[in-house]
Amino acid sequence: MAYQLYRNTTLGNSLQESLDELIQTQQITPQLALQVLLQFDKAINTALANRVRNRVNFRGSLNTYRFCDNVWTFVLNDVEFREVTELVKVDKVKIVACDGKSRNYK
Amino acid sequence: MLTNTGPVAKLYLSIIDDVIESMRELFLDEGLEDRVLDDLRHLWESKMMQSKAMEDFRKNNINSSNFVLQLPANYSQTDQEVTASVVIPASQNIHSFPRLKSNSETLATFSLPAGLAYPVQIPAGVTLQTASGQLYKVNVPVVVTQAAAGQQPVSQPTRKVTEWREAAAPQSAAAPSNTTHPQEVEPSSVPASSVTQPPHPKTNLPPGQESSLPQQPQVPAAETSQLQGTHSPEPEVILEEDEPSPQPEPVNLSMTASPRSQLLDFQISTEEALTQTAQLKARDIDDILKEVIEEEREKAERARSLAPAKTDNQSEAVVGLDLDYNYSELSDIVQLDGAAGNSDIEEEDGVPLEENDFLGIINAEAIKALQEGDGSSDGNSISTSSDSEGADELANVVEEDPLNSGDDVIEQDIPDLFDTDNVIVCQYDKIHRSKNRWKFHLKDGVMCYGGRDYVFSKAVGEAECM
Repeated sequence: MAYQLYRNTTLGNSLQESLDELIQTQQITPQLALQVLLQFDKAINTALANRVRNRVNFRGSLNTYRFCDNVWTFVLNDVEFREVTELVKVDKVKIVACDGKSRNYK
Repeated sequence: MLTNTGPVAKLYLSIIDDVIESMRELFLDEGLEDRVLDDLRHLWESKMMQSKAMEDFRKNNINSSNFVLQLPANYSQTDQEVTASVVIPASQNIHSFPRLKSNSETLATFSLPAGLAYPVQIPAGVTLQTASGQLYKVNVPVVVTQAAAGQQPVSQPTRKVTEWREAAAPQSAAAPSNTTHPQEVEPSSVPASSVTQPPHPKTNLPPGQESSLPQQPQVPAAETSQLQGTHSPEPEVILEEDEPSPQPEPVNLSMTASPRSQLLDFQISTEEALTQTAQLKARDIDDILKEVIEEEREKAERARSLAPAKTDNQSEAVVGLDLDYNYSELSDIVQLDGAAGNSDIEEEDGVPLEENDFLGIINAEAIKALQEGDGSSDGNSISTSSDSEGADELANVVEEDPLNSGDDVIEQDIPDLFDTDNVIVCQYDKIHRSKNRWKFHLKDGVMCYGGRDYVFSKAVGEAECM
């Protein structure tokens, strides 16, 4: 099973909203919506693993850290994200990271 | 970053394709038509298009829209502020604004991207041109709503409502000529938007278009006609200086909810005046609305004058939010319901009354500051007797605990701490810590910050823990 981690992205949230609309209009069942989300999990995990090839560096100050259920959650302040092409600064960013080594169902 | 070149958009679309195609068979097994799956796809794609994440995709598909934004020559001065204030409720952010700086009167034209969902907030200093060619220069942030033909425009309560008193003295502007039928709305002359603010007096409006006015502006129009008849010019409403222009506005003008109530009151009182005036020619919408706003501002000032002297925190909160206060005091008029009636307010009651007055205006953070300030000021200012003063001092001492007050470091709310729009969702390869230096080795991540989406296959970071 793939991580359901990516459901809380722009792509994932918009999919969930769309599915909710279809459920409300009773065009699909909730069970089917769940199947769609599972398929989305697989698709995005595969896409990120295979179709993305770039590297980002970042630096900031760590405000909080949390490690629970093998999930790291960080809150960083005053972060600079640096890629080859550009630099972006944000004052606050939250990082949620699942274990990249094992493929546990989350 | 990938977003600038479009690969993120392509990646997202490929993911959408994968998901939809892989679900097609399942949908058919469920007995659902292809239409349902297509609906899902359309919904999903439209939401993605509307989000800032797909901005690069949108840039490539900018079609002619109903609005063409024209930037004034001096736009560059306020581009920073404007960029920050360009908040389109569909979570779009038009980044193209600040990049163009024109030094002459040449207008920079931007078309709003396709798929723009109303309502839309337009920042100050831009000139809007509707599809039919009318120009409106916006002095203050404007909310553009979509009004169906024949309907009253939906009023958008926004904190950036018109500050009409900041508008210049009433000058020539579009004057509606069709004033005999207040409720008549011509569908042909109503583009797909209505501006919830009167245009700047300097706008140029093409002639030959009939106006379609909602009911409310008719009332102040009646009132101003009354003023015209009596020749009693108020300092703010200078009707005589207007260049009577029979060029009406083809766009529905509507006001927000708060002036509407005021106008309804006017309507009741000026119904007779309406019947007396045969026509309302050369009506300046700016004048009409300005007048209404003046009334309400006076009300607000009366309410404020009743309040006792403000504490430092209150004044700071008010000053700090001066901009919003000016904009929002008009929209929040209906919330000033306690001050007008209760003129005999004791000082102690005045303090909470003041808080109530400003609740609608000051945001949550300011409310906190107010409460904290009030808590300390109440203890210091209201108590007059020595006994109570001593008791209050003791209470303050007990509360603040000066001995250990500096030990508390946590000043942020934990729930708010993790609440941010800038999120990175990824997997970690290795997280390393040495004393207070942390090193992150991440992979396969989707990032959303600065309102845009990014992806990475690898991310390496460092941070120092305070």
